[in-house]
Amino acid sequence: MAADVTRLVDVENGRISRRIFIEREIYEQELERIFARCWLFLCHESQIPRAGDFFSTYMGEDPVLVVRDTEGQLRAFLNVCRHRGNRLCRADAGNAATFTCAYHGWTYRNTGQLVGVPFIKEAYYSALERERWGLVPVAQLESYKGLVFATFDPEAPPLGEYLGEMTWYLDAFFDRQEGGIEVVGGLHKWTMPCNWKLPAENFAGDGYHVTWSHLSAVRSGFGGDFRVGADPTGTALSPGKGHGVMLVGAHMIADPPAPEILAYEEKIFPEIVKRLGPRAGLFKPVAGTVFPNFSMLKPTSRTFRVWHPRGPDKTEVWAWVYVDTAAPPDVKEAVRLAGVRVFGPAGVFEQDDMDNWQACTQTGRGVVARRHPLNYEMGLGHERYDDDLKAWASEYRFSESNQRQFYQRWAQLMTAEKWAEITS
Amino acid sequence: MREELLREVEQFLYREARLLDERRFHEWLGLFTDDVRYWMGGRSTRYPPSSKAITVLDRERRQESEIEDELAILDETKMTLGGRIARLDTGMAWAEDPPSRTRHIIANIEVEPGDTASELKVYSNFLVYRTRAESEQDFYVGSRQDVLRCVDGAWKIARRKLVLDQNVLLPKNVSIFF
Repeated sequence: MAADVTRLVDVENGRISRRIFIEREIYEQELERIFARCWLFLCHESQIPRAGDFFSTYMGEDPVLVVRDTEGQLRAFLNVCRHRGNRLCRADAGNAATFTCAYHGWTYRNTGQLVGVPFIKEAYYSALERERWGLVPVAQLESYKGLVFATFDPEAPPLGEYLGEMTWYLDAFFDRQEGGIEVVGGLHKWTMPCNWKLPAENFAGDGYHVTWSHLSAVRSGFGGDFRVGADPTGTALSPGKGHGVMLVGAHMIADPPAPEILAYEEKIFPEIVKRLGPRAGLFKPVAGTVFPNFSMLKPTSRTFRVWHPRGPDKTEVWAWVYVDTAAPPDVKEAVRLAGVRVFGPAGVFEQDDMDNWQACTQTGRGVVARRHPLNYEMGLGHERYDDDLKAWASEYRFSESNQRQFYQRWAQLMTAEKWAEITS
Repeated sequence: MREELLREVEQFLYREARLLDERRFHEWLGLFTDDVRYWMGGRSTRYPPSSKAITVLDRERRQESEIEDELAILDETKMTLGGRIARLDTGMAWAEDPPSRTRHIIANIEVEPGDTASELKVYSNFLVYRTRAESEQDFYVGSRQDVLRCVDGAWKIARRKLVLDQNVLLPKNVSIFF
């Protein structure tokens, strides 16, 4: 019996129950109805360019192995041996033709096919139907501009439809130049003692927190001053389906404050407008979230990340640093350094976020604290559909309109029995 | 002489650790040369070449992780370290307000000749306990490789390479120094 969450999310009045951030029953339902159903980000294609390359990740709490098979095709499976359910591959990444389970030695090809079962003649009398016991594949896998996504739900709409108008905004982060982006070696992985929705909604629409949470880093010269400056230009924008993006004016400087990067951005801005169309000339992208748990950021640091759920009060963040493939080496190095210094576990911006999200989650353990809903009313009634931006846009740069869209989508998915019931 | 030098380096590192535990960050910054590179990396998990868990398809693809190729956790100059300390002084660096209480345990110190006559190569391990607020606690454990340089008769840290042993970091952040 699914929990009725409709009363917990009141986007009309901007009230959200704290129960959705702390209760185990609701979390278990999220694993079923959000994470086993939505398109989730797996990795960037530049991480697995060659045949045999693999990358281990998760979809929700399910371990998933992403491979480029021997023929060069991208595939993803549960990283779970079909025999006793042991975790098949224990490495983070590498290159393999076959994977062998450490328990009894069942061996799978990088296509997922079960090809080796020790003592199959003697112990199984050759009766085991190996073709039925291959690795469990994801239901659908698609790439958008090098970003690899998958879903466990065969009924989920195709990726393009799931992303909708968000695809154009993804281009504004990841396809600004010929060749798109590449990731800068490796990634940051760390543990946050908070509910996964707090970081996801933050990247979707919380420009407001920068002016206080991150003022120390802004004042110490690490960037982000466009948020605290006098110019109020900017908007929180929802292209629909729970996705959210934040933008600032095209005239504003919203990049890491390194001279190489600033000169590069100035130079390529007209090229971006030419490539992506006049819409790209209206703004600069700041941050965004693809529902439910894939977020990205461009100023101060170039990062995209996945918020892997690990229980109602725990999240594992896997964060990459990305850079335009076409950027010159000195720009790439400056982007790498900004990525290390400003975001990530030691980032001068990000380290303060974890501390706030932890406390926002943990005070919800108090039964009395939990009775009082959280306030999401900022900018209620001050959003409108913008025909040029092709999205719902807030009037003022700070608004909780994107968060309301995020939780509305969350409630739709948590309530619906199947995809067919979910409108728009 | 060697024994004396070892003692001198040990005392230098212990004093440095005490400055950190007492949050005397400006004095601590003074222990670095102006051209210092202060770098921290993490670890990823790869199968060693001898592993029978996989058969490799493409031998050219490196299997073992090169720590230097991974995304660094810190890659700082003296100026950016100074920026981090200035941030702590603003009264709004929330990860450290209220501040962490740390205990830096430095051990396994080895001293070797450096690349020049005025430099030493120093290896050590660190175990840093951090507790904060009511009941937060974290352990940061790893290795350090320092280059100490004698500048005007005093030792300064000219290079510090730190490697944390964890893959997925269990602490929520790295808001302290090592």
